[in-house]
Formats: sequence, C-alpha cells, structure tokens
Amino acid sequence: MRNVRFVATTALLLPLAGCGVYGLPNGATQQAQTMHLDWVVFSDAGLVVAVLLFALIIAPLILWRRRSDAYPPQFNRNNRWEIAYTGIPLLMVIGLFAFTFWDEEIVERITAHPANTVDVVGFQWSWRFHYHNTNIDVVGTPQSPPQLVLPVDETTRIDLTSSDVNHAFWIPAFLFKRDAIAGISNHFDLQPTRLGVYRGVCAEFCGLDHALMSFTVRVVSRGDFARWLRNGGSSAILSAKGASL
Amino acid sequence: MTTTTVTAPAPGTSLVRHGVIAWLSSTDHKHIGILYMCTSIFYFLVAGLLAMTIRAQLIQPNMTLLGPHQYAEIFTLHGTAMIFLSIVPFALGLANFLIPLQIGAPDMAFPRLNAFAYWIFFFGGLTIFSGVLVNGGAAATGWTAFAPLSDIRISTGGGQDLWIVGLLMTSVSGILTAVNFITTTFLYRAPGMTMWRLPVFTWEMIATSLMILLAFPSLAAVLALLFIDRNFGGQFFDAGAGGNPVLYKHLFWFFGHHEVYIMILPYFGVITEIIPVFSRKPLFGYTGLVLSAFAIAGLSMGVWAHHMFTTGAVANLFFSGVSFLIAVPTGIKFFNWIGTMWKGSIILTTPMLFAVGFMLNFLIGGITGVMIASPPLDFHAEDTYFLIAHMHYVLGGGSLFAIFGAIYFWFPKIFGVQLSERLGKWCFGLLFIGFNTTFFVMHILGMMGMPRRIYTYPALQGWGELNFIATVGSWIMAAGVFVFIWDVVSASLARKGVADDPWGGNSLEWWTTSPPPEQNFTSLPPIRSERPVFDAKHPELARRTGK
Repeated sequence: MRNVRFVATTALLLPLAGCGVYGLPNGATQQAQTMHLDWVVFSDAGLVVAVLLFALIIAPLILWRRRSDAYPPQFNRNNRWEIAYTGIPLLMVIGLFAFTFWDEEIVERITAHPANTVDVVGFQWSWRFHYHNTNIDVVGTPQSPPQLVLPVDETTRIDLTSSDVNHAFWIPAFLFKRDAIAGISNHFDLQPTRLGVYRGVCAEFCGLDHALMSFTVRVVSRGDFARWLRNGGSSAILSAKGASL
Repeated sequence: MTTTTVTAPAPGTSLVRHGVIAWLSSTDHKHIGILYMCTSIFYFLVAGLLAMTIRAQLIQPNMTLLGPHQYAEIFTLHGTAMIFLSIVPFALGLANFLIPLQIGAPDMAFPRLNAFAYWIFFFGGLTIFSGVLVNGGAAATGWTAFAPLSDIRISTGGGQDLWIVGLLMTSVSGILTAVNFITTTFLYRAPGMTMWRLPVFTWEMIATSLMILLAFPSLAAVLALLFIDRNFGGQFFDAGAGGNPVLYKHLFWFFGHHEVYIMILPYFGVITEIIPVFSRKPLFGYTGLVLSAFAIAGLSMGVWAHHMFTTGAVANLFFSGVSFLIAVPTGIKFFNWIGTMWKGSIILTTPMLFAVGFMLNFLIGGITGVMIASPPLDFHAEDTYFLIAHMHYVLGGGSLFAIFGAIYFWFPKIFGVQLSERLGKWCFGLLFIGFNTTFFVMHILGMMGMPRRIYTYPALQGWGELNFIATVGSWIMAAGVFVFIWDVVSASLARKGVADDPWGGNSLEWWTTSPPPEQNFTSLPPIRSERPVFDAKHPELARRTGK
C-alpha cells in the first residue's frame, strides 16, 4: 500500500520538477498561463493512468506465468468490475472535459477594445504584418524572416488570413497556433507577459520552402513600442532588452 | 445416363502448389487474402525505407541529403503507402483469409467481386507510385493533399492526378470488400454460429466494414472534386472564386477520422484473438468488448473536426467532447484484455509478446490522444512532432505491432509452416526498443516547437540530439524487420511441418488443416460458444454461451 502511494506521489510531482514540463515552453502570454496549466493537469492525469495500466498489464505476466499444463479457472465476466471500468473512465473524461470547457473560453476570449491590431497574412513562403492605423507594413522572405513587434502587458488583436495555400501561425513560446486560410479571417488576442525575442514558424505544410517560413516575435516595453510606432517601425530605436528565444 | 462423381479435393493440399495463372485468376478467399497481405507487406517495406530516408535527412540540423521537393515526395508516399496500401489492406487481407474460416463457411459471399476488389487495389497502388516516373515527380502534398496546396496552379505535376486516381481505386476496392464482409458474416455462418458466438476478430471487422461504408464515399467525393478542380476548371476549393478550402478539410477528415478507426479496430480484433489463447482462458467481458467496437464506430461519426481545432471554423467544444468519450470504449478493451490475462496461465510466445507490446504502445498513443482532444492543448500540439509521436504510437506501435503478432500467430495456419520462436523474439525486442527510441523523443521535440513536414531545421538547443536519438531508433527497427524477413525466408525454405492447431486455438480456423483445403472444412465441431475448438478438445471445461 505504501508503495502505491509513493508511486502515485512521485508521478504527480515528476512533471513539475525542473523547469518546464517535458520541454514545454513556460508560456509567455496571459493566455498561455491557462494552456500551460492544462498541459500540467492533462500530463499528470495521463501519467497516473499510464503507471496504473502498465502495472495492470505487466503484473499478470509475472504473477501468472504458465507453470503447469493445468487450466486456470475459466471465468469470463464480472458485472461489478465491468461497470467500474466503464464508469470510472467516463467520470475521468468528464472531469477533463470540464477543464477544457472553461479554459477554451478563456483562451479564445476576445476583448472589445484591443490596444493594437495587426493584420497577419501568410503567403508562400513568408509573412506580412500590417499594424492598423499606421503605415507600418513588414513583409518577409524565407531568407530574411520578418519581425513582429508586440508591447508587453497590452492586448494585441491578430487578424489572420492567407493569400494562397493554408498556413498556420505558430509561436511555440505562446503555446498557440491558428490556421491562416484564404477566404477566412481568424481573430485572436495575444497579451505577452515577458520581454524577449521568440521564434515563430509556419506549422501547416505549404510547399517547398515551408521549413524556412519562420518569423520572430519581439516583445518590448510599452514605452519602446510607442516610440517604435512613432518612428514608423524602425527597429534601430528598440533597446536590446529581454532574453532571446 | 451418365453419373458424375464429385470428389472433394484432398484435405491438406498445399496452397503454394498452384501455378502463377491459378493465383492471378483465383477467387478463393484464402488466395485473395494472401495476395492482399503480401502486397501490403511489400508496401510496408517500401514505406519503411522511405521513413529511413526521412530519418537520415533529419539526423542533424541543416542537412542537405534531400532537397525540399524530394523530401515532400518521400513523406507523401510514406504516409500514403503506410495508410492506404499497408495497414488497411493487411486487415482486409487477414479478414479475407479468416472470416469464412472463423464462421465455418466455404468462401466469401461474392468471390468474384472479392477478386475484382483486390485487383483494383493492386493497380491503384501502382497508379499512386507511378507518379515517380512522370514529369514533376510523385504527389508532394502530404497524405492529406489539402487544397489549395494540391490545386493545379500550385501542384502542377501529373503525380498529384495519379495519386488522386490511384486513391479512388483503392477506396472503391475498400467499399466492395466491406459489402462482401458484411454479407458473408450475416448470411454464411455455419449452423450454431450465432452472432453472439462470433469470434471477436470477425465482430471487429463488421464494425470496420460499416465505417468503411460510411467513410470511403466521403473520400471518393473529395478526390473527385479535387480532380474536377484540377482538370476541368472547377472551383470547389478556390477561395478567390467563391470556393472554400475548409470544405476540403471537412470532407477529407470525415473520411480521415473514420480511417483512423478502420486502421485500428481490426487490430483490436487480432489482439483479442491472441490474448485468450496464450492465457488459456476465455475472453473476459465478450459482450462489453463487442459493444465497445460499435460504440467506437458510432462515436467516430462525430469527431472528425478535432483535426480542425486550429482552423477557427468549427465548434471546437462539441468535437472535443465526443473525442473524449471515445476514450471510454477504448478503455473497456484494455480492461477486457487485462481481465483475460488475470489469474490465467500465460505463456509469452512471439504473438503474445507482440500483443503485450501493442497494449503498452497503444496506451501511450491513447493517452496523448486524450491530451490533444482538448483544444487548448491542441493549439500547441497540432501539426508538430507531438502529433507525429501520437499518431505513430497508435498506428506504428499499435497497428503494426498487431500485424507482426498476426503474422506470427496465423503463419502456421496460412502456409502450414512454423516461424522460429527464437528469431520472433529477437524481432519483437528490436522493434519494441527501436520503436520507442524513435518515437518517444518526438513528443518532446514537438513540445519544444518542431513542426511536422520540415525537410531541415535550425541548430536550436536540444533539437539535434533528440533527432539523432530518433534516427538511431529507426536503425534498430530496421534490424528488427530484417530479422523478420530472415525468419520468413529461412522457415519457408526449411518447410518444417506444423500441427493443425499449434497454439491450442479457440476459433474454427484451428479445427481444419494447416493450410486449409480448398473448401475450408471437411467437418465442423458443435458450436456452443465463441470458442468451439477449445470446447471440442476440452469438454470438461466447455461452457455454453450466446443464444
């Protein structure tokens, strides 16, 4: 019994030890805090189920290996167990779905008045960032990826679409991606919480140079961002604050 | 008046003794089953070699072994061959061989339709691969071929059209075969073989066939629309002309997620045949297991858009909820298998080892499946190596392990030749270690930010090391496959005879000779439960079940 408790406790704490969960970035936006918690809850629950079922699969192989030609008792049903192993997993997935239900709403919530709005267009094979109410229009190429500049602690609305094939706008450090599809305009809010430079990529296969369709996201202070806007998007005026990637 | 004497062919006639013409023109379900299985193993080896090339290219950052177009052709053909030409047709072949034997019938309901279905599948596969010979090369848009990427203006080569036509042929083949399986099982069962006494493999094939009938027409439709878009000026998926790229995803995934279950239910059946035999116990919870197969088939009608959580164009919560529910009937199967082993008398033969490997691998794939059924997690995991890991744990660690288990289990019945237990265990060990070495690290790569389908990647921290581990794993797996080939070749040359029932089997195929005679049976035991052969050999333990 003590062993079981030890295994269960270790399993719960294991993913929380060290920095990050299995290589998962810490999440550098408000929205990513919620998604990071979901990853921890789901992977912990998954680990408990994995340990339990691994034990249940391997134990019979050790305990009841064939030792004679005699036949074991030929039982083939047990209503109580059958109800239990249907009912308990059902309750578990209902619980996990409840998490999903609340957090999906939080992650996808869109504020009525974002501080800034950026049109993002994916094309073969780079990105175009246009800041609303400004002349700032950044167009990248596979060889010189564009940079998306975002203010920290402010909400930026992204309006996302594609001018050709399907792409997907993914910033791993934000734990979030959304598809860019021609004819469809997708909207979501990003509220970065940490200064820094982060990597962004296209996640949906879009042809030859898909692998090179990257961009960078630079999260700057609100003051820097305002100055950057006033100077028409010249990156020279940004102070080199924040860790890279 | 002359009298005609009809003599039955001698039992035990070897299947291999027929000429080439006899094989090509055969309508015997056993011959067609063997043709399907051999073809799918051939494509498994081809697709495996393609996978080795992918892993070689990704062994370290910034590799230039392959160019971007070559790489895209290779992963497209790898996915297409594994899914459409290997995992599905192996199940169809095994079912072709087994269903008439398991229900005590002499052949399938429509033998000529059966042969026709095999041959259009065969030529469909050739059509897909013939793309490598045409100008512009084979299809290079992934096994999903999403429009507008597969549009004529972007994918100009004829390889994409050959891919469409070849896939249409295999989907028609699947529909015809499904009709045949359902008709055969409903109408050709031996006296006493009631539905509730059917072996579980046959049950799983009924559920699979129903899903094929529901899903493959959607695939045929989307392929036809894409063909019209490409060749006859259609604009179904062209947003600029009022079409919609999301429509392609809906039609494709309505097929595509059924396809996932079409690729796994037959192998649940395989595992469920193997475990009771080597645990020396009846299956635990037969009724629940059968119902769970139909629960999965039913729920699979409402999960397709969980492949589209990141499109922003579907009701994420609905599809998430239904996807979560699928974990329940899948979990039931695990407890059926554990309950069958519980207090049993277990012997770890090669087929049983593969069954255990299947359970361990599939469990990991199932758990990550529940994770990405939640949209807030999927927003990070979608289209990354996390997804690649998940899907290979289900289809590689799951279905392919069951394929090897099935081969080791039924090879003696099919060919009358026993494979080596010693080599079989080596094969299992290498595949199990190699598989987990290759694919486990991919979970971490995906979480760290590596997207799928990239032919090269920058030297970011940890990426090179993890990719190197994955590539080494692929070499270990290749060694396992090599041992398997060696085993099959040396066993076939040695032709060591085998008993009709070498494992102490349960279902009717173990009653007849190895290999079975042309008309399958010269006698049948009384059928009073789902394991008539066991009952006949152990009357003191026999129990009447079903109605």
